[in-house]
Amino acid sequence: METFAISEPVLLVLLSLAERPRHGYAILKDVESMSDGRVLLSTGTLYGALQRLFDHGWIERVEEDNTARDRRTYRLTSRGRRNLQMEIERMRRLTKVAALRMARKEA
Amino acid sequence: MLTVYCWLLCLYPGSYRHEFGEEMTSVFCEARSELPLVMAAKIKFYRREFCGLLLGALCAHFDLLFGHSIPFRRFDMQPQFRFPRSTVFLMLVIFAGVMLTIAKASSIAGDTVGSVWPSLISVLAFMLVTMCTAAAVVWRILHTLRRSGVRRLENVQSWMYSVESNGKQ
Repeated sequence: METFAISEPVLLVLLSLAERPRHGYAILKDVESMSDGRVLLSTGTLYGALQRLFDHGWIERVEEDNTARDRRTYRLTSRGRRNLQMEIERMRRLTKVAALRMARKEA
Repeated sequence: MLTVYCWLLCLYPGSYRHEFGEEMTSVFCEARSELPLVMAAKIKFYRREFCGLLLGALCAHFDLLFGHSIPFRRFDMQPQFRFPRSTVFLMLVIFAGVMLTIAKASSIAGDTVGSVWPSLISVLAFMLVTMCTAAAVVWRILHTLRRSGVRRLENVQSWMYSVESNGKQ
């Protein structure tokens, strides 16, 4: 069983890559748009997260011959996708419980 | 500002710089080119970038020193892990023992109990330090076992997969 407790910026990075492979700047902009400008990643934070995800085998580089070294593209691996699905499922359960509790309180 | 950025990038370990340095600089330049002309936005951007770099460099050095990443912000632990109930029971027994000892000592010594407190505090402090050290050692052993166990399991799985694929061929 793998750990799947992740922070919000990392979750947003994973969600950004879940749609399609992206390079660093595209991830940065996508995270900003997904969170309505609430989460603004710095390059240090973004590449720190990418390196860890890379080391854990959750993402991989898309190997293309014509890609410049400063504009490499990343995509989710099957392991990363599986872990992301588990995290989403965990959050879904949590929001369900939260909704039930709130409804009970209001009633 | 690009010079400052490159200078801060030098704080990262060499291997990390080699791997991501060019990409990071390129993304920084791209983000900077799209900055609005408002001064406040520029200040916020540079502050975020430079703080991010400093923190990132710190984390990268931590990874290099200890061989694993600083856990993600939420507690990085196996979901099936539970704190043993026996530990809670033992702690309660020890606590009850300490309380009984204090009560007994106070009944024997009467008013002279006050002089016992300084030594009691030092003993408690010593016990706390010992317990923390023991907990750190146990945590490190468990962590190492978990890492090696996962690696061995992966090796076994990849070996089984290769055996299966050879069998099919």
